[in-house]
Amino acid sequence: MKKFLTIAIALVLVIGCVANASAITVGFSQVGQESDWRTANTDDMCAAIEAEGWTLVYDDAQQKQENQVKALRNFITQGVDYILFTGVVTTGWDEVLKEVNEAEIPLFLLDRMPDCMDEIDYVAAFGGDFLEEGRRMARWTINYLAAQGRADEEINVVILEGTTGAAAATDRTKGIMEVLDKQDKLKVIASQTGNFTRAEGQAVMESFLKAHEDIDVLLAENDDMALGAIDAIKAAGKVPGKDIIIVGCDSVKAAFDAIVAGEMNCTVECNPLYSSAVIPMIKGLEEGKTYEKGVVHPEEGVFCMDGGIPYDEAGELLSVKAADVIDERKY
Amino acid sequence: MKKSRESIFKNKLVLAVIAELLILVVAGILEPGFFHVEYNATTGMLYGSLVDIVNRSAEITIIAMGMTMVIALGGTDISVGALVAVSGAFALKLLRWDVTLYPTPGDYTIAPFFLVILVPLLICTAMGLFNGVLIGKFKLQPIIATLILMVAGRGIAQIATNGKQFTTGYTPYRFIGQGSLLGLPFPIIITIVICAAVMIFVRKTAFGTFVESVGVNPNASRVTGLKSDRIIIIVYTLTGFLSGVAGLIYSSRISSCDSNNAGVNYEMDAILAVVLGGTSMTGGKFSLAGTIVGSLIIRTITTLVYYFGITSESIMAFKAVIIAVVIIFQSEPVGKWLATRQARKQKAGELRG
Repeated sequence: MKKFLTIAIALVLVIGCVANASAITVGFSQVGQESDWRTANTDDMCAAIEAEGWTLVYDDAQQKQENQVKALRNFITQGVDYILFTGVVTTGWDEVLKEVNEAEIPLFLLDRMPDCMDEIDYVAAFGGDFLEEGRRMARWTINYLAAQGRADEEINVVILEGTTGAAAATDRTKGIMEVLDKQDKLKVIASQTGNFTRAEGQAVMESFLKAHEDIDVLLAENDDMALGAIDAIKAAGKVPGKDIIIVGCDSVKAAFDAIVAGEMNCTVECNPLYSSAVIPMIKGLEEGKTYEKGVVHPEEGVFCMDGGIPYDEAGELLSVKAADVIDERKY
Repeated sequence: MKKSRESIFKNKLVLAVIAELLILVVAGILEPGFFHVEYNATTGMLYGSLVDIVNRSAEITIIAMGMTMVIALGGTDISVGALVAVSGAFALKLLRWDVTLYPTPGDYTIAPFFLVILVPLLICTAMGLFNGVLIGKFKLQPIIATLILMVAGRGIAQIATNGKQFTTGYTPYRFIGQGSLLGLPFPIIITIVICAAVMIFVRKTAFGTFVESVGVNPNASRVTGLKSDRIIIIVYTLTGFLSGVAGLIYSSRISSCDSNNAGVNYEMDAILAVVLGGTSMTGGKFSLAGTIVGSLIIRTITTLVYYFGITSESIMAFKAVIIAVVIIFQSEPVGKWLATRQARKQKAGELRG
């Protein structure tokens, strides 16, 4: 028995040493849990890092910038090999990110890009093209209305914006307005922040419905707010998806469920699965490869009730029927 | 008669009601549709902005019932927001248990429904008891003692659901926040029942007087034979329980738990509701009715912001300005000034008459 134990302990030690020798430590500063999208984003990255056998130092900032600054400084003192970073807001990162640069830790920017990204060094930035996502939401709506034979109708649009100051919110709004400003049938009659959460999406929509008799379209800058708004629309005695066309963004599983159930019309994808791009890059850096600094956008689609609605500028890319792909959705 | 007329502006409750009415009148002048309330036959509920205000103030009103007495004791409880998250997280945990085993949210529950309600409430009550024991028995400063659960609570909520947002489609659970009874949204019914129960308990027994006595002077109260530590423990435990109720309503409204966003800043809103209602932060006398009005004022402002389409960037500033005005309006010097002005007018009237 003793012998067996000794061998076992020795084995563990040896394996431990071998693992340690090649171990890479990755620090991941995440904004915190806020939506299903974020959960998918976190799970995908954490699982991929752990699957490689690397050490993961994960920090959930609970939506607070000061927590993230602290986490980044901790990463520096711990001497992690790589830092993955998603900033809760866009501004105020100059100092701490420069400290990361000074410590010469390779930095990956994920999802939300800080304002100071031109002044700092980073390996690569992976993120959705929020501006394009906003444009797609508006383009899909216009094309869908045309397909419904409502191209000449005056359409009242309300917008549920994301967290004020977040890049995803600012750019999606910008993208939506860019497209809507070029035509005169769709009019934005109300726009308000729902902070990317279900509860606030619901409360704001509830008030929109009272302040405006005739709402035709709801553009929600994430699916969670759209899902919250669906309940508010039902409580107002209206039929979501029919009386009011609902377009969300992110393409989380719950939105697919709602689309298949006929309560939501469309969701523009914002792909949260970055690990398939980040992991090979870290491996490349380990082998001594270099990469050009720049922003990489993941491939993204648009999903709706029946599919076949164009959403790009040229009108070539067509939306996919949500019911056809719902089983493949991982998040 | 004359005396009561003179003191009317010194009564904080009256001032709170006037402030709320003023806000509503201004809103009504700007947009008469704001007052429109109708019966919606499809949903079987009264429908209108005023209903929304009462409905969505439910969580804060319920928590503030406990917070009023906490503040009357000269204390404060900053853990209530975190407890809202805890309650929702455990309810959803019991409804869904393991989302990898049962991936689609549907009209089902894993644990029996009474446990879904009972367990979160018991956990929050126990957390309230923990606060109370730290403050009553170990004499910790309330803000420090409740800081523990304010920070740890969200962590516990995250652990309960593995940091995920669980969603449910279980009809009885959704009824708590989205259902209706007697034409009213169900949260309003819960609020009425809880407020009535707390008020009866506090005012029909000597408990309210005990709380005020301990709040004014804990040592003197102890010398006269009051078990002040026991009263402190009861009040914090009750506040924990009420936060649990609020958490069930919050999570039921959105049919999911959201450990990071549920109840954020509720401690501040609850304290504000209490203060707006005329209870002093220094402890002593308290007004539960005032707190209800205070909570309504807060929700009215938020609803106005949404209704009038005030831009998202200026929400905070807008709210701050209104609240500042209301609080100054309620301050002692303004109350005195209003009272003396009224007295002077009366005198002038008597002279003329």
